[in-house]
Order: sequence, then C-alpha cells, then structure tokens
Amino acid sequence: MTIFSNDLVLELPDIKKLEFIKINKNYLKVILINAFLFFTPLFIGLIVMHQYVFTAEINEFIVPIYGIFIAFFGFIIWYLLLSFTKRKYALREKDISYKSGLLVRKITTVPFSRIQHVETDEKLISRVFGLSSISVYTAGDSSDDLVIKGITKKTALKIKEFITTKINE
Amino acid sequence: MNNSFDFSNFSRQSPKGILVIYIHLIYKLIKVSWLLLLLLIKDFSKLSNLGANYLYLSLTLLLLLLLARAYLTYKNFQFKIANEHFILKQGILKKTNTSIPFHRIQNINFKQNIIQQIIGVFEVSIETAGSKDTEIAIKALPLLKAEALKEFVSKKAQFGATEIIDSDKKPLVKIGVKELLKVSLTENHLQNLMIFLAIIIGFFQQIEQIVGSLGRTEALDGLIVESKNALSASFFFILILFIFLTIVALLSSFVKVFLVHFNLTAYLTDDSFEISQGLFTKKSIVLKKQKIQNITISTNPLKKLIGISFITFKQVLSGRVNVKKDKLIRLVGCKKAQIASIKASLFNVTELENGERKYPNSYYKRRIFTFSFLFTIGMYAVLFLISSQVEIFYSTILVFPIITFLVLKKVKKRFYKITDTMLLVGSGLLETHLTYLEIFKVQNIKMKQTFFQKKSDVADIVLQTASGKINIPCIRFEDAIKIYNHTLYKVENSKTSWM
Repeated sequence: MTIFSNDLVLELPDIKKLEFIKINKNYLKVILINAFLFFTPLFIGLIVMHQYVFTAEINEFIVPIYGIFIAFFGFIIWYLLLSFTKRKYALREKDISYKSGLLVRKITTVPFSRIQHVETDEKLISRVFGLSSISVYTAGDSSDDLVIKGITKKTALKIKEFITTKINE
Repeated sequence: MNNSFDFSNFSRQSPKGILVIYIHLIYKLIKVSWLLLLLLIKDFSKLSNLGANYLYLSLTLLLLLLLARAYLTYKNFQFKIANEHFILKQGILKKTNTSIPFHRIQNINFKQNIIQQIIGVFEVSIETAGSKDTEIAIKALPLLKAEALKEFVSKKAQFGATEIIDSDKKPLVKIGVKELLKVSLTENHLQNLMIFLAIIIGFFQQIEQIVGSLGRTEALDGLIVESKNALSASFFFILILFIFLTIVALLSSFVKVFLVHFNLTAYLTDDSFEISQGLFTKKSIVLKKQKIQNITISTNPLKKLIGISFITFKQVLSGRVNVKKDKLIRLVGCKKAQIASIKASLFNVTELENGERKYPNSYYKRRIFTFSFLFTIGMYAVLFLISSQVEIFYSTILVFPIITFLVLKKVKKRFYKITDTMLLVGSGLLETHLTYLEIFKVQNIKMKQTFFQKKSDVADIVLQTASGKINIPCIRFEDAIKIYNHTLYKVENSKTSWM
C-alpha cells in the first residue's frame, strides 16, 4: 500500500509565465474576408434604400449616413486588426489555454482530464488558406468551452492527437 | 434481496402500463387541443343531432385508436440487462435500440403520478449524464420489481448498495404540513407572482391567437385604454389591484410549494441522499454524493427570521442548462442543524467555516452602481419619450434610494472563501446564497479583464462546473492569478472522479 503523500508545493505552475503561441497569420485574411462578406450586403442594402426607399427628407442626410456606416465599418476592421495579435494559445503537459481580446481580455484553460471530446473543423474560407479550428468540450453547459480558430490543419491534428493520447492515459 | 427477478432476458413492464400509457396519450392529446375542445363544447348545443352522432363516433374512434397505440407501445417496450449495459427495445414502427453502460447512469428515480398511485405502480426513470437522448422512463413497474432493478443496476454500477427505505430509519429531514406552510409564507412571492403572470400571459396569448380572428382585440384594446385612464385617476383602484396581486402571489407560492414539496422526506445514507416529495406526482430520488457537483444554501430575510433555509443540489447538466430544470434538487425548510449535518456529510467544511471572508475590490461596487444607474436613467429617458409627462420624475425620490440600497446589499453579500480543497462563494440580492464547491470538480476556468478593470488591477474569475458557472467578480488581479493557478493544480492532480 502506498502511503498518501501531499508534499507542500512551493511554487505552482504559473499561468502568467506561460509562453503563448500566436495563431496563424493567414487567419487575419479569413477574418477580413468574413467582415467584408458581412458588410457588403449591408452596404448594398443601404444603397438600395438610398435609391428607392428613403424619402427626400432622409436623403438630405445621406452623406452623414454613409459616413457613419463607413466609419463604423472602419472601426470594426481596425478593432479586428488590433485584436488579432492578442489571439494566442498554449499547450502544457496537462492543460490547454487560449487567450484573446483587446478591450476585454479573456483567458481560458481546460485541463485535459476534464475534456469529453475534441473536434477539429474547417470552414469554407479557412480551408482556402489551409486553416482549421479545434474545439474542446467539457461536461455540462458546453457553450463556453475552448475554441482555437486559425491554426494550420497540421497543427490542429497534432494538438488533437496530443490531447487524445493524454485523455486516454 | 430480490433475486426472484431475472433481468438477463427481455421483459416487459407490468400490463397495468397499458393504462398508464393510454392516459398519458389522452392527456397529451388534450394538452394540444384543449382550445379546440373548449370551442367545441361551447357550440355543442348548436350541433344537429346527426352532427352530434358523428362527433361521438369520431371521438370513440379516436379513443380506440389511442388504446391500440398504447397497447402496441406496451407490447414493443422491452428491456434487459446484459454485459453491464441496460438495453431497451422500443417503438412500434420506428424501432429503437438503446443501450446504456452502467457507469454512465447517473441515478435511478422512482416517480408516481396520480394514476400510477391509484393502480400501484412506479415509473422508473434512468438518468444519464451527457448525451441527452438516452433518458429512459419505464412507465409502470410494480414496486418489488422496480426496487430489484434499481438494486441490480446500482450494485453493478458500483456506487454501493442502495438501501430500500425502511420505515423505522430516522429521516434526516421531514417536512410536515405546518413547516411547509411556513416555507410557503416566506417564499419569494414577487418571483412566484412573476412566474404566475408569465403563465397567465402565455395562456392569454394562446387564446388571443384564436379569438384574434374574431375581431375582439379592438374591444380588448378599448378596455386597456379605459383601465389606463382609471389607473391614473383612482388611487382606490391601485389599492385593490395591489391587494389582489398580493393574494395571487401568496396563493401561487402556496400552490407551488405544496405541489412540489408535499411530504418531503430526506434520508442520509453512507454515500447518498434519498429524497421523496410531491403531492400529485410523488418523486423519489437517490442522489449520489459523488455525483453532486455543488450545493447552494439559500435563505431570505423572512426565512432567516424563523431560522430555515433551503439547499439546492446541483448535478451534472447536459446540453443547454434550462432543458433540465428538474435536475436541480431542492430541500426546503431545513433547520440549521440539518444544514450542518448535510454539509458535513458532503465535504470537510471546518477549515472553510473558520476561513477569512474575502470581498471583491471596490471596483465591483462602482461597476454595479454605474450599470444600475445608467440603466435606470435610460429607462426614465424612454418613459419620458413615450409619455412626455414631467411628473414621472417625482418618483426618482423613491427609486434612487431603493436602487442604492439594493446595490449596497448586493455588494455586501458578494464574498468568497477559499481553502486548499474547497471554495465558498456568497451572493444574492435580497436572498442570500452560499455556494459550496469542491475545487477539483471544476471543468474549466476562465479569467476576464476589461480595459477598465486592468486600470484598477482587478479581474473576474469564472469557474465552469458540470452544473453551471460560478462567478467571482472583480477580485485583485494577483488573487485571481493565484486562484487560477491553484484551481488548475488541484484539478490536474486529483485522482478522484468528478462524477
């Protein structure tokens, strides 16, 4: 019988000292393309409204309306560009972490021993750049678990492999 | 021991099950078509003789069809136990084969609705954690067989033998009618009123959908406008409304408490709680201690006055949180000593109780103040835009002190205590909630820091457990990092299974 031991741990592994890896640069292109895909229909909609729907009274202000729209779009793009560099992940021997966010910084860590299953998937635009994402799920309300988007397919599969072997240990 | 039952071959439930299924089917039919039925009954006298005959005929046919369906459902519903799996065959046209490994079984519950009580059978439901489709309910089993099944499965599942409740064992908690009255009186009436009103509104919307086509809505609108005028005109009317709502709130509390918790009895065994309660539908639940993710002990000022609180046991949730509200198991009307013995039986709390309470940074107070004041000001702005009456601003004299009071209450109740193995989080507004969590049961951990929080050097911690989130807002960044590291260390080094 082994004697229960619980040695005093002087220093816990520190999350602050963890070296994070940035996600693949190509993913920025994916984000930008997605943003354009989102805004183009809105912009077309605005033009259609301008030409056919708006009354003359509203059309007096059409320049500021376009201005606000473009400024808003510009702001979103600017924010996406800046926050992109904050998307990082890290693997340790026993857990996986992901951090992101410019105005709201978030960091999530999932211990391997609590992972229920791991998924990798490639969305259409990501696939063009050879990128995929990896999601890990834990028990319970699974909406908030960890997703790393924008890593190469090879890396994603490697991480998946790594986690799977760790879970089965 | 009940070895007289053989589960290795496929067997059916008790033939009485046909009746249970039949009534359940009829109930379901009435539930979807009650409005239609109502209209039918209303206009019944207008029907011609022949029409009435047709109606009877089709009704009889329908009932016969349902009976046939109930019989076939019963006939095709078979279960057995093989290789540590519970195997179930069911379905009339679409055959389903379900197999649940024993270690996936979370608990086995007995339930009795009024029909099942009358004919003396039990509904046995097998709850699993994880995949939501594998929820099995055997509608009708005689008590002996049900217990034999439970024993068989629980033995094999190795969560220890479950004792059959014998009557001479002393229950840990037993809530009689008198205590239940106390519990109902001290309920959160406002919340119950809201729930009740929500149900009523839903009910009216359903009626409106039918009536709407008949052009009655105009009359209804007229009524609303009228009563609006009356409202501003007469204080008397408001008083009546107030009294009426109070009575409704009280009544809804009473009904809710009595329906769910009637004859509440809880037994404590070595490794589980056995809880049975309910008025029309008796439910008995075996709650494995190991499977309890966290517990919350709650009370409110009224309950505190008479010295009772309630405990909510949280188990593993699967899928969306709201789907399984009934997985929250609640023990109402517990006295201090009972709470203490439940706590002590679950975890080692002495260190925790003696520990020091840590409160969030003053940033937390500022944040709630800012949000609630901004929200109120926004509401006033909207109200003013709609009504354009300056008089509404008189109410600020009352509203702002109340909000200030509530915010201060909320801030005061927020605290946390952490020891090597346990975490205690206090929260609440008027009610007080104390959530106890064993740290190794955390699923994942998250830290959030907004731009403003960074300036004040504070951060939020969110601990995700298998039964929901636990927040520790706005604590010093340094402490947050400490909790973060400590939690991960505990989770990653624990050998105990979290469920």
